[in-house]
Amino acid sequence: MYGWEMLSFNIHDGFLEAIVRGNRSGLLTAADYNNLCQCENLDDVKMHLTATEYGPYLQNEPSPLHTTTIVEKCTLKLVDEYKHMMCQATEPLSTFLQYITYGHMIDNVVLIVTGTLHERDVNELLEKCHPLGMFDSIASLAVAQNMRELYRLVLVDTPLAPYFSECITSEDLDDMNIEIMRNTLYKAYLEDFYKFCEKLGGATAEIMCDLLSFEADRRAVNITINSIGTELTRDDRRKLYSNFGLLYPYGHEELAVCEDVDQVRGVMEKYPPYQAIFAKISYGESQMLDKAFYEEEVRRLCLSFEQQFHYAVFFAYIRLREQEIRNLMWISECVAQNQKNRVHDSVVFIF
Amino acid sequence: MSSDSSSWARALVQISPYTFSAIGIAVSIGVSVLGAAWGIFITGSSLIGAAIKAPRITSKNLISVIFCEAVAIYGVIVAIILQTKLESVPTALVHHPESLRAGYAIFASGLIVGFANLVCGVCVGIIGSSCALSDAQNSSLFVKILVIEIFGSALGLFGVIVGIIMSSQATWPAKA
Amino acid sequence: MSGQTQRLNVVPTVTMLGVMKARLVGATRGHALLKKKSDALTVQFRAILKKIVAAKESMGEAMRASSFSLAEAKYVAGDGVRHVVLQSVRSASLRVRSHQENVAGVKLPKFTHFVDPAAGSAGPSNASPSLTGLARGGQQVAACRAAHVKAIEVLVELASLQTSFLTLDEAIKTTNRRVNALENVVKPRLENTISYIKGELDELEREDFFRLKKIQGYKKREIERQMAAAKQFAEEQLAEEVALKRGISVGAATNMLVAGGERDEDIIF
Repeated sequence: MYGWEMLSFNIHDGFLEAIVRGNRSGLLTAADYNNLCQCENLDDVKMHLTATEYGPYLQNEPSPLHTTTIVEKCTLKLVDEYKHMMCQATEPLSTFLQYITYGHMIDNVVLIVTGTLHERDVNELLEKCHPLGMFDSIASLAVAQNMRELYRLVLVDTPLAPYFSECITSEDLDDMNIEIMRNTLYKAYLEDFYKFCEKLGGATAEIMCDLLSFEADRRAVNITINSIGTELTRDDRRKLYSNFGLLYPYGHEELAVCEDVDQVRGVMEKYPPYQAIFAKISYGESQMLDKAFYEEEVRRLCLSFEQQFHYAVFFAYIRLREQEIRNLMWISECVAQNQKNRVHDSVVFIF
Repeated sequence: MSSDSSSWARALVQISPYTFSAIGIAVSIGVSVLGAAWGIFITGSSLIGAAIKAPRITSKNLISVIFCEAVAIYGVIVAIILQTKLESVPTALVHHPESLRAGYAIFASGLIVGFANLVCGVCVGIIGSSCALSDAQNSSLFVKILVIEIFGSALGLFGVIVGIIMSSQATWPAKA
Repeated sequence: MSGQTQRLNVVPTVTMLGVMKARLVGATRGHALLKKKSDALTVQFRAILKKIVAAKESMGEAMRASSFSLAEAKYVAGDGVRHVVLQSVRSASLRVRSHQENVAGVKLPKFTHFVDPAAGSAGPSNASPSLTGLARGGQQVAACRAAHVKAIEVLVELASLQTSFLTLDEAIKTTNRRVNALENVVKPRLENTISYIKGELDELEREDFFRLKKIQGYKKREIERQMAAAKQFAEEQLAEEVALKRGISVGAATNMLVAGGERDEDIIF
């Protein structure tokens, strides 16, 4: 029932939606970014950030700042906000919010499994996990030696269980498989998220399916470009594409056989939404593609704020924060490494 | 059909006009209040949430709540007007066509006012919610959205006007 | 100055002079050789210095590029990518091998890097670009890897040059010290010694000459004296002969006087 959710949406989620929109107004603006780009050293960056919403998280940091500290603190703010929203959320918003973190959860599981295979200390690994993707039994991941055991002992209790059951066939875990496993999991996660959003219906389904389709298409393009020249076969590559999105299914067939970037461009230029992205990039150059995709993603995420009474704002907000943290990391890296002429190369202005 | 003792047509004629009048009055106030309450909670939940990050919007956006409240007041006013139209008539004249006309007029005006106000209340509530959220982001938007909200709240007034005009048709047969 | 005045404590003899002269010749030849070695080392040193400057400049560039490419990879692939990469490594695949090079008798350590095919992560990720960051930023990760490999190459080269630089520096200092020691201490001392020995020998010669002269003079005077004595004796004998002829012996008369003086007990004094 498209449009009717505005009658009942606010019963459960009106308050949280307003909060997330309030948080969104705390995102750094172009003026903030311009100020940050003028900074001479990391202390200046800190000073500018103290004037923003990051202030309470950064003001007590001792002076020899490091880029990782800034990123860490900013991530902490995101996690705090996420936890706050999670506390207030009711079904089905709480499930939706959990879905947002599954991507990080997959990354953490893969990281721990990789580390365990190489006999690293589990506690050390846990510190490196993304805080958004933590779950209770994550520490016990290290006991598993093979995929079946891992699934049986630990993962069956986590929300990731259905995704793992899809790639449980691979018995031995070597590096190649781990990276493929991660992408298989991510594919299963995206598809599941897509189905969940379709089930929610209304404006949420409309906007989220659009955003997730973009995400799936971007992954497909990235996997194609990054697997050029590796041992990944066409069939394997084809298997990693998510089964939805604008490119599905004909674009996937074409992408699967691409052998260089220009062929990818040829495929993508048939799709009007991606034409503009590829038009920005000169021939043979794929470095700027990531930024172009990020810009397009940010544009779409911002558009989702234009409509009310749907869940996509939560997804968009978390994604925009992550992009902002990436921007901050980039700026502080550039400032720390004295490469200020390159600051504007990768910063994606959100507003 | 009409000769059948249990047909709808017979029921409409046989049911007391006072029943219709009373239902009309009840609907006019009840549904109006429902609409107002619905609008207020739609506005209110967004307003509270948005006010956390932008406390300045609270007092300004109370206007949205007041608009919703006005819808309930319309219902109350119309209900009072309608109930003044109720006159007692001799038992013999209860099923007199004029009594029936008066009863249906009050019933219909009650329905008109009630549902116009329900929809108006929801409409004002949704706009009020958007108003609160927009005001929190950009305070220059407040006045612009307020205009839309005023147009929305005028919808209820249309119902009230039509309802009052209609109720003025309700004339009971003379007692003599 | 001290070198000027110093000399070896030797007995100034002709043999020693020969020894000293031989040593001086040796010292001179050694000095010339060492000087040549020092020059050769200095040439090498300058070349290495030039290389070091170039390597340091390129190192700055390479390090900057590599750390910036890391930032790029982190931007695209997320902060977690470094952990993923770190965790999937078993042992280093780039190794450094060291061997020695001989420059004018100085052994210089040289480092070369090579890819250890056996080491590294167990998977095929070593041979071909790994699949890390397949979904996002794989290219940046690969670029980052390439940039760091380049940085390591420059670093190894620089380390090799720097070690050679230090070793050469030490060697040049030692050689120069030896050259200077030979030039300023040993050679002057030997020369001094030689001149001392020569002086001493001259002195001895002069002494001998003088002594000979003295002896000669003495002998001459002695001969003259003997001649004179002989002459006198001859005269006396002649006089005695005359006196004998006259009957009075001069000697006898004298003898009588002397003998009379001693034996005359009557004389009081």
